[in-house]
Parts: sequence; structure tokens; C-alpha cells
Amino acid sequence: MINIAFPKGRLGDKVCALFGKAGFTFDGINGGTRRLVFVNEELDVRCFLVKPFDVPVYVERGAADIGAAGKDILMERSPDVYELLDLKAGKCSMCVAAVNGFRDDMSRILRVATEFPNIARGYYAGLGRGIDVIPLRGSLELAPVLGLSDVIVDIVETGTTLRENNLAVISHIADISARLIANKSAYKFKGGRIREIMRRLEQAS
Amino acid sequence: MYIPVLTSEENSALALRELYSSCGFKFFRMTRFEEYDFYAGKKDFLASQSILTFTDINGRLMALRPDVTLSVIKHAPPGKYYYDEKVYRVPKDASSFREIAQCGVEHTGVLSGDDVREVLSLALRSLRAVSGGRNVALDVADAGEAARLIPQERRNEMLACIAARNIHGLRELGASDELVSLAEEGRGLPFGLDDPEIRYDISAVTSLAYYSGVVFKGYIEGVPDAVLSGGQYDIAGASGTGFAVYLDALEGLRND
Repeated sequence: MINIAFPKGRLGDKVCALFGKAGFTFDGINGGTRRLVFVNEELDVRCFLVKPFDVPVYVERGAADIGAAGKDILMERSPDVYELLDLKAGKCSMCVAAVNGFRDDMSRILRVATEFPNIARGYYAGLGRGIDVIPLRGSLELAPVLGLSDVIVDIVETGTTLRENNLAVISHIADISARLIANKSAYKFKGGRIREIMRRLEQAS
Repeated sequence: MYIPVLTSEENSALALRELYSSCGFKFFRMTRFEEYDFYAGKKDFLASQSILTFTDINGRLMALRPDVTLSVIKHAPPGKYYYDEKVYRVPKDASSFREIAQCGVEHTGVLSGDDVREVLSLALRSLRAVSGGRNVALDVADAGEAARLIPQERRNEMLACIAARNIHGLRELGASDELVSLAEEGRGLPFGLDDPEIRYDISAVTSLAYYSGVVFKGYIEGVPDAVLSGGQYDIAGASGTGFAVYLDALEGLRND
């Protein structure tokens, strides 16, 4: 049995569709149920739906053999797992954004609102810029508008939310997409089956 | 020998000590604390960067050992040693120090290929001794070869990709075809090793700071983390090959 952790939500829907295209279908996974575990007896695979941020935890600690996680979450958590494949689903960018016309005052500490404190710290440490991280859990666009922060570090897909709130991207940190990850130990003992899943996903993506 | 009153961790340690002793390794016992300065310059070698310190009665800053290898090299003449010690580290994602039981061997000095091969086969036998009959796997790679193939300016990024078997990441970073194919397909085993439980896997290379030759990591089916780690090192002119078995990781044995 191969255990797969899928992220709940929009990225999860895309990843489920990709697995479906590769032949790994799970009855009832497309809504209409509150079940969290789905089994495909014929293929001997089981999947479960968890919060996107938790996928690497399930995989790193071996509760799941493989999983699909956004590169943003892998960068933030640095789990000790294998990153086997770029699934090319859910493409977006990790960016720094600020109110239109923003000028960085280098004599002050930069206040950065973000859901990704480690990514923000790493990025600005690389620039040698001192920052004050303001951890938030969503609606980040509000922070610079209200003067809570100078900039935000966040995921940008189309940029519509930024534009509608008078914000703009000022620098690009990394390209983001969903990745297939695997528990290192599981890869040693179930490697043949995991590589078969990789091959089928590669053909489907 | 299995002693019912001992915990599974203590029984595992006992089984390993019997194994190492029967292979002609001498018991090495740590009796003193090390001075903090001893570790300060060698932090890259340590698995965790944090060191637990205290001030001794003479005012010197001392350290509770985060590692045994460095002490063996410092205190014992070249030879074959095994140990059963506690080390003090901050595990990944933890916010405080933990006492971790470690059992392992060090063969120090100038070693022949046969000597290194003996340590590798002892690593495999260690895995079998504590696996409780489960499948085991020993990943082997060559840190010297990896160092030659990784360009200096992208070293940390490429090492992170190698540890994660991230082939697409290596390609994006501009890794050579030779490095990509080594990561993707591996190659034959060194030292004439030939055993289905030993495989070449480049992800065994996690640091190039002190490891100069073969490096290896051991896994037991059902345990999510590596339970054994070691390699051929060269630290401040002292060379050798050794490994440690993380007895605490064995608690992770899952019942599927």
C-alpha cells in the first residue's frame, strides 16, 4: 500500500486531477463528502486530504510515503524529504509587493508582513537588509495599506488582488509550483512503486 | 543476548556492543567534558549547530558533547574503537536540547580499502542487528566525487538538491550532465561491495565540509528517518572512517 498526502483546497483539486489523469482515481474525492481518507483497492494506493502546510509533516514523519506540496511550503519548512518531481500544477511566484510608489528607506528596519517568515528572513538576509517580520495568516494586502508593514512577501498568481488594493510587485523571489515529495525511508523500500507513480505523473503532466 | 529488564534501546545498544567487540574494536569511554573551544572551529562537522555549555569550577567554558567522533580523534591513538554514549543536541524542529543515545564505531588513522570496506559491512550488520527482522537499506555515495562535480559558486544550493534527490532542481542550477546522471542513475559500488541491501544513492552526501570519501546512511523499513550515518572523514589532519547508530530513531518503528 502506498500512502499519499494531498493538500486540501485549490491546489489539491489540481493535483487530484493530475493523479486522475495518470490513472490514480479515488471515488468521491471531488467534493460532496467530508471523508478525509480515500482508497483505490485495485491499485493498492490510499490518499488522505490534509492542510497544505501539513503535507511535508505527514511525509517527513512517514505517515504518508509520498505527497504533493507547494514549493512555497517546502521552502518555508525545509522538510528532510525527497523532492522527486515538479508537477507543474498551481504555478505562481513568491514575490515582494508594496503600495504603488513605495521607496525603501534604507536607514530604517524594513517591516515585512508575511505568511512565510523563513522565506522572508532568508531572502533579506541574502541582501544584508535588516527586517522586522510581522506574521499574518491571510489578507496580507491590507498590511501595507494600513501602514502595519512596509512590504509583504506573498504568493502572487495573477496579481489581481494586488492591483485592486493599489499594490505592485517590487521583486521576485522564486517560481512556485506543486512538487511530488517522498519520505526518504519509504523511497528505499517502496522505491519501485514510487518511481512507477513518478513515470505516470510525468507522462500526464 | 536479550535481557528482558533492559529497554529496547538498551538491548539494541548491547547487541551492537557485542557485534563491535567481536570484530576486534576496542571500547572507548568518554570520561571528561570537552572545552567549548574544541567544537567552536568544527561546527560544520556537527549535526546540530547548538552546543550545550556550562562554566566549570575553574571558570572555563565547557561543552556537553554534541558528537563522539571528534573526541575519539582527540583522545585515542589511531585504531579501531566503538562507543556507547549520550550526546546533547537540539533535534530538527525542536526548541530545546535532548539527550540522545548513540552507539557507533571509529576506525582512525590511514586506512586501506579493506579497512573502509570492513566499516561499511559492519554498518550493514549493525542495521540488521537492530532491525527486528525488518528490511534494511544502506545508501552509499562518494563525497569526494560529488565535491569534484559541484561548482564552488553553487555549492550549497546544489547540495540541498542532492540531499533531496531533486533532479529537476539540479538541472535548473546548471549542473553538469555527469552530475545529473550520477544523481539520477547512480553507479556501481566502491570497494567491491556487492550486496542487494547496499545501493549507490547520491543523497547520502549532505555535507562536503569534512567528508572526503565514501559517505553512507542506513534505513530500516518502517522507521521514517535514517537510523545510521557515517563516512570517511579528514578533520584537521586526522583521518578515519566511522558511523553512529541513532538509537532514539529506533523508537520510530511504526506498526503498519
